[in-house]
Amino acid sequence: MSQQQTKNCITLRGSAQIICEYLKYATNSVLFQRGLYPPESFKAEQQYGITLLMSEDPQIKSFLTNILGKSEEWILNKQVSKLSLIILNVANKEVLECWDFNVQYEDGDVAMSKEKNEPVTGKELKKIQQEIRDVMLQVAATISYLPLLDCRCSFDILIHAKPDCDVPEKWSEAEPISITNAQNVQLKSFSTGLHKMETVVSYKLAD
Amino acid sequence: MSKEGDMSLFNDVLEPFRRVINTDPPKDKLSTSSKLNFTDSNQSFKESISNLSALGKRKFSLGTSSPSPDKRARLDSQTTAAPPSPWESRKMKIDLIAAKAQITKLEARVNHQHTIRKEMQILFEEEKASLMEQHKADQKALSDMEDRLQIIRRREQDLKDEFQDALKEHKDSKTKWEKEKADLQKQIADLKDKLLENNVSYKDQLSEMKKDMDELLQALEGAQSEVEMLKTEVTKQTSRAEQCTSLRTQLEKQTFEMQQLTSKLKELEYEKDSYKDWQQQVKTAQKRLQNMAELEKEVARLRATERSLRDAVCNKLLLEEQVHSLTTRLETMQPHQQQLHDAKVKIAHLEASLQEWRAVAAARGAADARSLASALDTAMEKELAAVSEAASVQSQLAQLTEEMSTMKYDRDKATIKLNDWTSVRKNQESLIHRLQKRLLLVTRERDSYRQQLDSFEKELTITMSGESGAGGAALLQARVQHLEKALQGYRDLLTATDLDAHAKVVDALRAEIAKWRDEAEVAKRDAVKYKTQRDNMHARLEKLNFAPPTSKVLHLVDNPAAIAQKQFQADLDAAQEEIVKLKAALREGGSAACSEEVATLKQKVDSSRIKLQRMKEEFTSSAQEYRDVCYMLLGYKIDRTGHKNYRLSSMYAESAEEYLTFTLCDDGIEMVHTDYSATLSELVELHLHHHRSIPLFLSSLTMELFTRTTMQQEEEDSDE
Repeated sequence: MSQQQTKNCITLRGSAQIICEYLKYATNSVLFQRGLYPPESFKAEQQYGITLLMSEDPQIKSFLTNILGKSEEWILNKQVSKLSLIILNVANKEVLECWDFNVQYEDGDVAMSKEKNEPVTGKELKKIQQEIRDVMLQVAATISYLPLLDCRCSFDILIHAKPDCDVPEKWSEAEPISITNAQNVQLKSFSTGLHKMETVVSYKLAD
Repeated sequence: MSKEGDMSLFNDVLEPFRRVINTDPPKDKLSTSSKLNFTDSNQSFKESISNLSALGKRKFSLGTSSPSPDKRARLDSQTTAAPPSPWESRKMKIDLIAAKAQITKLEARVNHQHTIRKEMQILFEEEKASLMEQHKADQKALSDMEDRLQIIRRREQDLKDEFQDALKEHKDSKTKWEKEKADLQKQIADLKDKLLENNVSYKDQLSEMKKDMDELLQALEGAQSEVEMLKTEVTKQTSRAEQCTSLRTQLEKQTFEMQQLTSKLKELEYEKDSYKDWQQQVKTAQKRLQNMAELEKEVARLRATERSLRDAVCNKLLLEEQVHSLTTRLETMQPHQQQLHDAKVKIAHLEASLQEWRAVAAARGAADARSLASALDTAMEKELAAVSEAASVQSQLAQLTEEMSTMKYDRDKATIKLNDWTSVRKNQESLIHRLQKRLLLVTRERDSYRQQLDSFEKELTITMSGESGAGGAALLQARVQHLEKALQGYRDLLTATDLDAHAKVVDALRAEIAKWRDEAEVAKRDAVKYKTQRDNMHARLEKLNFAPPTSKVLHLVDNPAAIAQKQFQADLDAAQEEIVKLKAALREGGSAACSEEVATLKQKVDSSRIKLQRMKEEFTSSAQEYRDVCYMLLGYKIDRTGHKNYRLSSMYAESAEEYLTFTLCDDGIEMVHTDYSATLSELVELHLHHHRSIPLFLSSLTMELFTRTTMQQEEEDSDE
């Protein structure tokens, strides 16, 4: 937790950090809930007032830190509109599930921003975390209706950035994905005052 | 302190000059920086002095009498107006120069002192630091030593405790040992006593034993002589046994002969029996011969009877012919008889019917057949007439039915018309009703309008006549009443029209409701359809939304999915390669692929076979050994003849036929009856039935056999 927080206000960077932190926990939670990796490789961690399971796999850890570090930068520059966590069948590359994290940019507290000469929000951290907790609980509850993944699956994170965004090293453009016969479920959304995060899960409806 | 000392010394030195120069003492005496400043100020002071001197020189050279301000001040204090003489000034100058030189010298000294002091200070500090370090090290060493001392003290304490414990233990053990020692000494004493006793007893015993020995030796000598006697007897016995055996063989021969004789005897007996039979037969034949004459008589008799029988046969043939003819006749006669019977029956029937007829005729008053016929005729005529009548009546009936049907048709037509008319009438009635209602409405409306007109007229008159007090009030009241009446009328009208209208409205509403319901259902269905369409469109829209032009999809090149796919591909390739390899191996032939394995397996099989062979050999040899040992130790050879059957043959048996058979039962071993066992009835009775012990039986049998063989040998010996 390293938000630049003075006099109970969150800066743009702090907000982006909160968003990325949420993304980290949400991704780990989905990976655990959907059983993509063995449950032994996860370790319980207290966050947002609930117990969340975080992967101990060094590959996943490094991948997430890489991607979220870059995403934070892009979110700061308002270049990202959506992050998608896709779960695909390894054998035929078919996308089975897609977790969309839509990022919307908000103005925050205008009066405070003028005062500080940078966009800030006066929303309390506790409230934001409360909202995030609700979303995380919903994510955990999705397992009850999501179809069983009975094949060898893996995941990827796609970042929907603006077309003028430069492609860094080790990154590449990916094909836009589509799920046939998809069913969408909108989960709760939360907002830091500067960013609004909507979580949508779409999955392939069983034939 | 030293600094201050120096400074005070320094100040003391400088004081006269200060007084001379009349300058302020340095502001800060303690700080080194200020000291430096002071030196600076000294320097500046020097400069100012030199300047002053130069100025003085200049002034002097100029020959002006105006002195420097400080000089002037002094001069002011000394003399009032005497100008300084050149000598004075020169002296002053000399003094000044001397003072300057002194100052420089003193300054150099001071500086030197300073440097010395600084060096001293540095040295002192260094020493101090080293001393401090040493002190610390010493302290540390001291503390270590103390710790060690404490540890040693502790150890000492422990050791002391241990020592105490050891002492205690030592004392305890000492006491214990002393006790043990006392006990042991006691025991030793006891043992010594016992030893003495034993020695005495042993001596007694020894003498006794010596006596015994002598006796025994004597006995032995006796026994030896006896043995010799016995040996001679044994030789006698053996010879006797040999005799016995020869006797036995003789006996056997005799028994064989006897058996032969007995068989011959049996043959003779059989012959004798057959001879007796023959004798009996002869006797019967003689008896038959005696009966010959009687038989001849009988033959004659029988011949006579034969003749008579032949005659009877002839008669019988005749009679048979007669019987045949009679039967044919009978057959021809039978249908006749049947006809006769039928005729008789018919006659009886006819007679009965005739009787009936007669009775009927009598009842009708016809005494005979003619009258009956006439009566019948009349009856027939009557019937004919009746038949004709019936026909006419039927035709009439048909006519009537036809008429009825036409009438019915007419009636139906009429009823249809009637219905039409009634419906028309109903319509008209309803029309009339409606018209009446309308008329009523119209009349009421007319009335109301008329009333309104009246009221308006009245109002008009009121307004025309102006407001005239009480009269106006009365008019208003009347108008109110009128209006109330009109209202009432409207109300009545409303109630009158309400019922019908209500029913209609209700129906209409119901119909409308049904219609709306249907519409709602249709709308729901549409909604569902539209929802699905909307979802589809949403999905499409999302696809379109995130198409490349609006956003760029980025991802890390080495994402988990890609890694997983690579691994999957690698696994797949490896698996396929293995399949290819295995297939190739299969094609080459499984034997080639695993020839090594086969070879090793064969080797294993061979080795295990050899092992098995060796085991078998070992087993057989050990089994043989076991059997031999059993035979040698127990005197019986045990053979397993079959399932749970064992054959025992003794070492001392006289022949191979002498064996016993045992079977293993659920509750032990049982002896099976054999030829040999039959000869041992005594032993069987005693040991098996009475003692119920097979080992005892076997050992006694061994004993017996052994004694028998030895006896025989003895006999033989004696015989020899």
